[in-house]
Amino acid sequence: MPHDVIMPALGMAQDSGLIVSWLKSPGDAVKAGDALMEVETDKATMEVEAQADGFLTRVTAAAGDTIPVGNVVAVIAETAEAADEDPPAPVAESKAPAEAESEPAPAELPDGKSVIMPALGMAQDTGLLVSWAKAPGDQVAADDVLFEVETDKSTMEVPAGHDGYVAALLAEAGDTVPVGESVAIISADKPADPQRRSAGPSAKPTAAPSDPAAKTEEAIATKATAPARPSPTKAAAVEGVILASPKTRRLALEEGLDLARLAEAGHPQPFHVRDLETLRTMPARGTGSAAPVEAAPARHLSARVSSDGLAGFLAWARAETQGSVDQSTLLAGFARASLRSLDGNPDPVIEVETLHGSTRFPEAAEDDATNGKPDLILRDLRASPLNGLRMGAEAAPVLTLVQEDETLTLTLECGAGQLDARAAISLVSGFAGRLEDPLRHLL
Amino acid sequence: MREITLSKAVNEAIAEEMRRDETVFLLGEDVAEAGTPFKVLSGLVEEFGTERIIDTPISEPGFTGIAVGAALTGSRPIVDLMFGDFLFLIMDQLCNQAAKAYYMSGGKLNVPMVLRTNLGATRRSAAQHSQSLHALVAHIPGLKVALPSSAYEAKGLMKTAIRDNNPVVIFEDKLMYQDKAPVPEEEYLIPFGVANVKREGKDITLIGTSSMVQVAEAAAEALAKEGIEAEVIDPRTIVPLDEETLLKSVKKTSRAIVIDEGHQSYGVTGEIASRLNEKAFYHLDAPVVRMGAMDVPVPFSPALEDLTVPTVDAVTAMARRLVAGEMIHAA
Amino acid sequence: MSAARKKKTNTDDYLRMYRQMVRIRAFEDRANQLYLSAKMPGLTHMYSGQEAVAVGICEALTETDKITSTHRGHGHCVAKGANFKEMFCELLGKEEGYCRGKGGSMHIADQSNGNLGANAIVGGSMGIATGAALSAKRLGTGDVTVCFFGDGATAQGLWYEVMNMAALWGLPVIYACENNGYSEYTKTEEIAAGSLTARAEAFGIEAHVVDGQDVLAVNDLTQKLVARARKGEGPFFIQLDTYRYHGHHVGDINREYYRAKDEEALWKAERDPIVNFGKWLTDQGITTSDDLDKLKSEVEADAEAAVAYAEAARYPDTREVDMHVYAPNAA
Repeated sequence: MPHDVIMPALGMAQDSGLIVSWLKSPGDAVKAGDALMEVETDKATMEVEAQADGFLTRVTAAAGDTIPVGNVVAVIAETAEAADEDPPAPVAESKAPAEAESEPAPAELPDGKSVIMPALGMAQDTGLLVSWAKAPGDQVAADDVLFEVETDKSTMEVPAGHDGYVAALLAEAGDTVPVGESVAIISADKPADPQRRSAGPSAKPTAAPSDPAAKTEEAIATKATAPARPSPTKAAAVEGVILASPKTRRLALEEGLDLARLAEAGHPQPFHVRDLETLRTMPARGTGSAAPVEAAPARHLSARVSSDGLAGFLAWARAETQGSVDQSTLLAGFARASLRSLDGNPDPVIEVETLHGSTRFPEAAEDDATNGKPDLILRDLRASPLNGLRMGAEAAPVLTLVQEDETLTLTLECGAGQLDARAAISLVSGFAGRLEDPLRHLL
Repeated sequence: MREITLSKAVNEAIAEEMRRDETVFLLGEDVAEAGTPFKVLSGLVEEFGTERIIDTPISEPGFTGIAVGAALTGSRPIVDLMFGDFLFLIMDQLCNQAAKAYYMSGGKLNVPMVLRTNLGATRRSAAQHSQSLHALVAHIPGLKVALPSSAYEAKGLMKTAIRDNNPVVIFEDKLMYQDKAPVPEEEYLIPFGVANVKREGKDITLIGTSSMVQVAEAAAEALAKEGIEAEVIDPRTIVPLDEETLLKSVKKTSRAIVIDEGHQSYGVTGEIASRLNEKAFYHLDAPVVRMGAMDVPVPFSPALEDLTVPTVDAVTAMARRLVAGEMIHAA
Repeated sequence: MSAARKKKTNTDDYLRMYRQMVRIRAFEDRANQLYLSAKMPGLTHMYSGQEAVAVGICEALTETDKITSTHRGHGHCVAKGANFKEMFCELLGKEEGYCRGKGGSMHIADQSNGNLGANAIVGGSMGIATGAALSAKRLGTGDVTVCFFGDGATAQGLWYEVMNMAALWGLPVIYACENNGYSEYTKTEEIAAGSLTARAEAFGIEAHVVDGQDVLAVNDLTQKLVARARKGEGPFFIQLDTYRYHGHHVGDINREYYRAKDEEALWKAERDPIVNFGKWLTDQGITTSDDLDKLKSEVEADAEAAVAYAEAARYPDTREVDMHVYAPNAA
C-alpha cells in the first residue's frame, strides 16, 4: 500500500515547514526510520523519517519550499516503478508565499521629491494618514500643509517640504503607513498624469527596497515644526454631564422628566431618586408637553395681506349661493392648492382649527382613523384678539391666520425637517396670494 | 429552642451523618483523640473509632489527595484542614484533581468530598494563620463553597455538604466556635444556593458572609436608631450563589454594601458587587460598595490587626453616607 | 480479566498479553500519524516501547481493581480493557470519547474498568491511588490499586507523603514506577539521587526491580504482589525498567541533545517487548509466527476502522460546554 509522506507537525504551534533538503532521491529504496528530508520550523531543523518501507516516489516539493503541515510531499510506493507514473501537480501554492502574493508591478511613478511618513513620537512605528490637504496635480509650496497625521499621542499637520506640484499621492486617508515610507511625490513641473494610490502591501517596510519611489531623492518632509494639535478635550464635555444614579435616570426616562432642568436650577448633584420629586413639582417649561420635534431648528415666516380680497369674495359667494359659505372649506381649499403646487402631493390633508374646533379636509373615510398627521394645520384665529404669535414647531407645519383691522397676518411655523426653505416660502407666498385675490384660486 | 456552640453544631452534624452513612469518614491532623486544636471534633473518635476518625501525619497534600481517591471509589471523606491558610499547600489536589474529575471524565467520575477548614482574623495569629481564603477556591469551577454564619448554619450546611456529590469546601470562622445560637434538636438540612434574609428593610441591603453577617446585623441595629431600615442578607453559600434573593433585595432598596472578611481586591465582595451592578444597574441609586479585609498580610499586633477587618462602625458609617446620597469616592 | 479468565489455559493468557501489547502499539502508531498529519487537536505522549509494563501489570488485575494513569497513559487505558473506538473518539475530541471529548489524549480513561483517570500533573495521582486503596480497605471491597507513574514523578513530594501513610495504614496499593530513563527531556540519573527502591524502603515498603520489557516477568511479579496486597500485606513498590521509543511528546523529534539515536536503535532492535515475546511464544511452540502475523493484521484492521469511525464521529454539542461541572444531587 503506498504511504503518503506528509509535512509533519513538529512544533507546539506550527503551521508549515520549510524543506531544507531531501536526503533521498525519487526512486531510492527507503526503510521505515530512514531520514527522508530535512525540515526547518520556527524552532529548529530536524530530519523527517520514513514511516514505511518502500521506494520514494512522487516527490512534489523541492528544497526551499514551505509546505503547510499535513500536505503530502511524496509517496513511499511498493515499487520503484511507481516513480515513473505521472507525477501529480506540484504543491505550487505553498512555494514562496511572499512571491506568490506579490502584486503586479506598479506603474512607473513620476519623478520628483519623495515626502515620507515622519516619525513624530518617541516610539512610533507608523502614522495614520487622517486626510490629504492637497489633491494630485495641485501646486504646493514647501510650507503648505500636505496632509494630517495621527499618532498614538496626537494629530498634526505635515507640510509639503518642497515647492512644486503634487505628482502622486501614495496613500489614502485612513491608511496606516510605516514611518519612513513615501506617501507623496512633489514634482518641480506640473505633472501630466498625477497619480493616486493607496498604501498597499508594498508600503510595508520589508518591501521598501523595491519601492519605485526610492529612486527619487528622499527628503524628510518635516521637522515636525507644526505644533501638536490636541485632540478634542473631554474636559469641555464634562460641563454638560449630569451626575445621577442609574435608577434616577431610568425613572426620569420612564416619566419623561428632564434631569437637565434640575441641573439648570442649581440643584446639587449627584441626583438620586428623591430629587425626582423636586423635578416633578417644577413648573412646566415653555410649551411644556409639546412633541420633541420642537427641539429641531424651527422656521417662522409671516406675511400680511389686506382682508379686502377675502371679504369681497365672501360677499360675492354668499350672494351667488343664496346663503352661507363655509369659510373653513374655502381656506382649506386655498391651502390644498398651495401645497399641491409646491410638492406635487395630489391630495394633501389639511386640518383647519378654529376657536370652536377642528375639521379635516378632505374628510377622512369612516374606517380611516384620523390619527394620521395632516400635511398642514391651518389655524384660523381671525376671531381671536391675537395679532401675532410665535409657538415653535409642532408635529406638522402650522399656518396661522390672525386679523387686525383690515390686515390679515399669515404665519407659517414648522420644523426645518418638515418643509425646506423654498417650500416654506412658496407655501406662504401662494397662500397669501390666494387670500388677496381669491378669484385667482377659482381660476 | 436549645442553644449550642458552633463547635458543637459541627460536631453534631458530622456525627449524625457518620451514623447515617457508613461511607463517611474523616481524616486530618490531630482529629481523633485531640479532637482538633479547636476541640470541634472531641468525642467523635470514641463513637466511631480510629478507622473512621483518622489522624494523619502533617501532610496536607497527601491526605487531601487520599481523600480525592477515596471519594472516587465509593467513600464520602471529610478532610479536616486545620487552618484555612494551608489551602495553599493543597491547591493541586483540590483544584486540579478534585474540582476537575467530574468534568474531565465527561461526568463518569465524581468526588463527593468535604473539606472543612476555617477563616477569620483578630485571633492574634499573624499572617499565616489568619487568612480568609474562600475567594481562592470559589474561583475554581467544580468546587462548592459554604460559609456558615452561626451554629445553625454550621450544622445544616455541613450535613448538606456531606451528602453533596461534589467537592465542597466549608469555611468556619475560627472566632465563632464558642458562639451559641438556637439549633433545633430535630434533624434539618440547609440547601445550598439559598440565601437567608436575616432582617428586612427598605433603605439599604447589607450582604454579609460568615462572621460579617454579625457585623451587618449590628450595623442594621445602629442604623435603625437613625431611622434607616437596612435589610441584612446572608448568602450562606457563595458557590452556588443565590443571586435572585440578592437582586430582589437590591432592586427594592436601591443600595447595597457587600461585607466579607477576605481581602477586598479580586474577592467575594467584588464578585457580588459586580453581579449586582450588571443585573440591577437601573435599580441602583448609589454605587454598590465593597467592604473586605485590607489588602495587607494580616499583622500580629492587636493595634494593627483590628484595623484590617470591616467593623460595625465602618459599615454603619458607609450605609449612612449611601442613604444620604453622598458621593462615594468622588474624584 | 474477570474471574472467568483464570479458568483459561496459560496459552490464552499469553496470547491475550501479546494481543494487548500489539493493540497498544497499533493505537500509538495511529495516534502518532494523526498528530503528524495535523488531524489531532493538541499533542500526545507515546507509550510505544513500554507495552510490557502496562500489560504485564493490568493482566494481573481484576476488572474492579483500580489504576491511576499518567499523561503517557494510552497504554494503561488499553491494557485495563478499553476499546479503540471510544479511545480514538476521545483523542479527536468527539462526543463518543470516554470523556465525551473533555479530556483528550492526556486524560483518556475507561472509568468503567477501574481506571480512575489519566493525570496530566506529574505525580498528581499518587494521592488518589492511595485514597482508592484506603477506600477499598475501609469498605472491604478487596480491590487493589496500582499507581502508575514515571521516574520523573519520583521527584514530587506528594509521593513521600502518601507512601508514608500507605505504609502506616497497610494499604493495598502498588506504586509502579515506569523508569524509562528520561524525565521529559532530561536523563533520570540527572534528576534522581540515590536509588528509587531505597526511597520506598525508607518507609518500610517492600521494593522490587523488574525488567519492564519482559511481560511475563512483570506479570509474574505483579500477580504475587497483588495477591499479597489483597491479604493486607501492602503497600509495594515496583521499579520497572523500560524504554520510551518516541520523544517526551510527539513533537519532540529533534532529541539527540539528550538521547542518542544509537541508544534508541539498540532498544528497538534488541529489547522490543512485542518482538521478544513473540519470539518466545513461537520458540516455545505456543503459537506460530503466521498466527501472530494474523493477529497483528486483525488488530491493525481494528485500529484502522476505529480511526475512520472517530474521524467521522460527531463533536460534542456546544451545549455540553458547561455540562459536567457539578454532579447532580438526588432531589
